[in-house]
Amino acid sequence: MKKLIVTEFKRNFKSLILWTSIVAGMAALMLLLYPAFKDSFVQLEELLSIYPEDFLEAFGMGEGGLDMSDFYGWFGVEGYLFVNLIGGSYAAILGGTILSKEEDDKTVEFLLSKPISRDHILFGKGLVVSINLLLMNAFVGLVLLIAFTIYGDLNVVVWLLFSFAPFILQMIFASIAFFISVFVTKSRKVLSVALGIVIGMYVIDLISKLTEEFEYLKYITPYEYINAVTIVNDEMIKPIYLLISVLIILISFTAAWFFYRKKDIVA
Amino acid sequence: MIKLQELTKYYKKHSRGILDVTLEIKQGEIFGFIGPNGAGKSTTVRTLLNLIFPTSGSATVSGLDVVSDTIEIRKMVGYIPSEVAFYGDMYVKDFIEYACSFHGNIDQLFVDELVEKLELDINRKIEDLSFGNKKKVAIITALATHPKILILDEPTSGLDPLMQNMFFQLLESEKKKGTTIFFSSHNLSEVQRICDRVGIIKEGRLIKVENIEDILKTRAKKVRIKTQADFKHTEDMLKVEKMNGFISFVYTGEMRTLIELLSQIDIEDVSITEPPLEEIFMHYYEKEELN
Repeated sequence: MKKLIVTEFKRNFKSLILWTSIVAGMAALMLLLYPAFKDSFVQLEELLSIYPEDFLEAFGMGEGGLDMSDFYGWFGVEGYLFVNLIGGSYAAILGGTILSKEEDDKTVEFLLSKPISRDHILFGKGLVVSINLLLMNAFVGLVLLIAFTIYGDLNVVVWLLFSFAPFILQMIFASIAFFISVFVTKSRKVLSVALGIVIGMYVIDLISKLTEEFEYLKYITPYEYINAVTIVNDEMIKPIYLLISVLIILISFTAAWFFYRKKDIVA
Repeated sequence: MIKLQELTKYYKKHSRGILDVTLEIKQGEIFGFIGPNGAGKSTTVRTLLNLIFPTSGSATVSGLDVVSDTIEIRKMVGYIPSEVAFYGDMYVKDFIEYACSFHGNIDQLFVDELVEKLELDINRKIEDLSFGNKKKVAIITALATHPKILILDEPTSGLDPLMQNMFFQLLESEKKKGTTIFFSSHNLSEVQRICDRVGIIKEGRLIKVENIEDILKTRAKKVRIKTQADFKHTEDMLKVEKMNGFISFVYTGEMRTLIELLSQIDIEDVSITEPPLEEIFMHYYEKEELN
């Protein structure tokens, strides 16, 4: 299985570099813009005051929201969203294709003619997804560490949460896409469904914040679980959300395993 | 060595796979498994490798159950699929190493020997190889681990005649080592060339298992003659058809008798060829119906 993991890692390495560059690049770009906005923040606040409170809340800038003159607040509003949307997309694509690609490309016939169990294949591929996402977030974390250290006092807890909370969100998307890919094996279809979930969940997140009527929707969107406001203001991820996240990830992977081990491979 | 007991597979979408296939293949035997496309050859192969699960019945390889002991079985099996699909972005040498790594140590000397015999460039990427060259990679990875059993699904497609010869030589030397070979094909002549026994499958059912000598004895030929003369056919001639001055039939009798018959009439043209598999099946069907 070691060889399978190493080979999978090598085969996915280029895309890991590419996506990490995009995510870390976006985070760095947003952090580079901070000094320019910091000085003009008073004008920015006036500009923003014309928007309704609910709207500002949706983007974490309302009352009890983030202070954008502070660089943690600035990153929480401007950079964190990109990390989550782009990183989440990568996670969904990786999770959704790492298994289904074998069937779509018909290489699964080769793999399953070798003495390796389906359990080991799933475990190996799941592990590569986790390692890749951890590496991406570690690199983004490094960028954040540099930026936060330059801009002022480093709050280690907030830095760690900003660096690795997206990992939880990404694992949720990756595990759900992984589960779907047991049934939907055409790569294009898996990609559409996986990216649909990433974008759809973000829309649900916005709706839950914009309207009181649909506030309960926040419990089903992973973006809320790792909300930047809680990270900066409370220096934590709410335990209930952490628990839900771990459950979603475990259930998705377990369900994928349950169905895949008994599945007819008719590629 | 390989034993199928009333093995049945139904697919959810495509309904029939195979029905009640019972078969036993002895150790060291080369068993030909022939039938037209869609007859159930690949379904049988896929069940042996546990890519799919049987609906009912059972299959064992070396006494091991294909479902519960699949890993143990795959340790001793070399497999050549009909449609070769490997990781295009890998280099051939890396891929061969990867394929062998699942079985433990690599017999590099033997791999080198196979690469040389099959004239394969291992420093190329798999995606740059032709279909025939990909097939060579499949042959090498299947043989390199010294398997006790070879499962071959249309192994010669894509290989040029010279390479087909080389492949058959390799199979013969495997047979000498005592390797059991399950050879699935729709090409009767290649099966005749190498196999000890032949099983014929059609529409999911195994309709006949025969020794190759018996097949050769009953071997039918497709005969097509052009003549204006009045041609009397005998009972050895099946499926007689007349069209535009041509008469065609499947001949199952003695060749000498046919030549004598033909020499007595005025013939403009004649061709005697291997009949399409379908017509051989017809031959078997007609015999079965008579029985």
